[in-house]
Amino acid sequence: MIGIIGSGNVGANMAFFIAEKLVDNVLLFDIQEGLAAGKSLDMMEAAPIRGYTTTIGSAESLDQILECELVFITAGSVRQPGMKREGLYTINLEIMEELAGKFKKYEGIVVIVTEPVDMLTRRFIKASGMDYSRVMGLGCILDSTRLRFMIATELNVSMENVSALVIGRHADPMIPLEKYCCVSGVPVSMFMDEEKLLSLFEETRGAGALIVDMAQRASSFYGPSAVAAELAETVFRNSRRILSVSHMLTGQYGIEDVCLSLPAVIGKDGIVRTLEPELEPSELKLLKSSAEEVRV
Amino acid sequence: MKKVSVIGAGNVGATAVYYIAEKNIADIVMIDVVQGMPQSKALDFLHAAPYRKYTVNIKGSTDYEDIRDSDVVVITAGIARKPGMDRMDLMKTNVGIAKKAAQAIAEYAPDAVVIVVSNPLDVIAMVALRESGFALKKVVGMAGVLDATRFRYFIAEALEVWPGDIMALVLGGHGDSMVPLPRYTTVGGFPLTELLDSATIEKLVERTRKGGMEIIQYLKKGSAYYAPGASVAKMVEAVVKDERRLIPASAYLRGEYGHSDIFLGVPVLIGKNGIEKIVQLELTAEERQALDLSAEAVKEGVTTLETFYSPG
Repeated sequence: MIGIIGSGNVGANMAFFIAEKLVDNVLLFDIQEGLAAGKSLDMMEAAPIRGYTTTIGSAESLDQILECELVFITAGSVRQPGMKREGLYTINLEIMEELAGKFKKYEGIVVIVTEPVDMLTRRFIKASGMDYSRVMGLGCILDSTRLRFMIATELNVSMENVSALVIGRHADPMIPLEKYCCVSGVPVSMFMDEEKLLSLFEETRGAGALIVDMAQRASSFYGPSAVAAELAETVFRNSRRILSVSHMLTGQYGIEDVCLSLPAVIGKDGIVRTLEPELEPSELKLLKSSAEEVRV
Repeated sequence: MKKVSVIGAGNVGATAVYYIAEKNIADIVMIDVVQGMPQSKALDFLHAAPYRKYTVNIKGSTDYEDIRDSDVVVITAGIARKPGMDRMDLMKTNVGIAKKAAQAIAEYAPDAVVIVVSNPLDVIAMVALRESGFALKKVVGMAGVLDATRFRYFIAEALEVWPGDIMALVLGGHGDSMVPLPRYTTVGGFPLTELLDSATIEKLVERTRKGGMEIIQYLKKGSAYYAPGASVAKMVEAVVKDERRLIPASAYLRGEYGHSDIFLGVPVLIGKNGIEKIVQLELTAEERQALDLSAEAVKEGVTTLETFYSPG
């Protein structure tokens, strides 16, 4: 069973994508009464047409969520136009620490989606005392996915052939790694000049804000929900995908006690191992300064 | 609805049909010379449709006319080498089969993209090109995708990671002379050479080279068809959905990679017109040498072909 705390756009779409992938049954929860029940019922009524055989239900209390093997936390406020993700820290910290208190004896896996994700993942780990390997934040996996989309679109090739890696903060100082972006194994620099690639990096940096500006109300939710469903599948099927998620660093590049995204192998027990890409001096410098920025 | 025809309803052809049906992207026709065999397999597939939920039509036939107006035609027809049979006899038989198939494609499906699977692949592709009179980009051989998927699986097994996160290019001819490029093989974007030492990589390359043989040794009679079928379906889907995939496949070269007038496995962009583009990669001296050796093997096959081949 997969629990989702928060049944707004991100939480509900996540349930939807997870159902379509037939990963496992989903339980939605929201503090606003009726929201989780209404949305889950709506999705179940689509099941005969969409053909999913898993169920989407709603939890009446957080205790039911704590019985799930995997829990996504999407609760909290989303940013408004012109706002940076960091601006949400004080707003969402309280709810995150309160939730963390309930997870002290929890033995499953938690994925933090609420922004600012790197800061809140660290606070959640501190407040819950959970194992580092069992808590991760939906960080640069989303930026990596957006960059894949942009590279594939620019080159007019299949998205499935493109891999892209963004590490560091899930915020403006994110670090796209040129050397680790490729098309069917061939470095992307062989198909695109440096200037174009750098402009795609900039576009990736601003991709989340662009959607907030366009929509004027809601922040993005299809992209985040899609990567969340991917993570859920990886955990439940123990498929050991390599995904750039935010997690507690323990000395990688000399950085510790802070959550940033680095590529990690993900399986049924959460983070199996962290991979360390070879960084240019400028990238390393940016990763180290990023670490200080999210150590709150 | 697009239409895909598969010529040869043996294990590889039928398994390819299965994977294509599950993708639900095109109506399918299976052709074979053995009366009743393609019909029975098509009907069997349709009986499974209520559970498997594909809504495409699948028809089995012994009449080439049924491939009319196909968007893609796959040639898997041919015999396997039997003990005691020499390679020349095998080639003669399969060239004869491919000739008929290619002529039928030219007559009934003049706009199709032709994907050649029958062996010896690079020779049969040449026959299909000549007999159909099609544009070069319309005829492509399936080999590199199969070699690459095997290589990807072996890497995933060694690193205990998801095979889908691995990308690999394997060039050259199919089989012993294939040229895997570890430099252009990545794991979640990481170059393979950063994650495995060269001795381990060499072992995986060697296993890939003999990947087909490993299956034959287990089966005793018969050879692999699941991975080949899946590889065919991947290429068919790339054409039908105009996916523009960068994959290794056998293409007719006119100077690319320093070779001309042969089919050889190179990176190509596959889309609705077949080979949209042959992608030229920088190769090291060593990689180039291996590709040249592979080309030599293909040329020998073509020389053999010329000793008995007459068009029409």
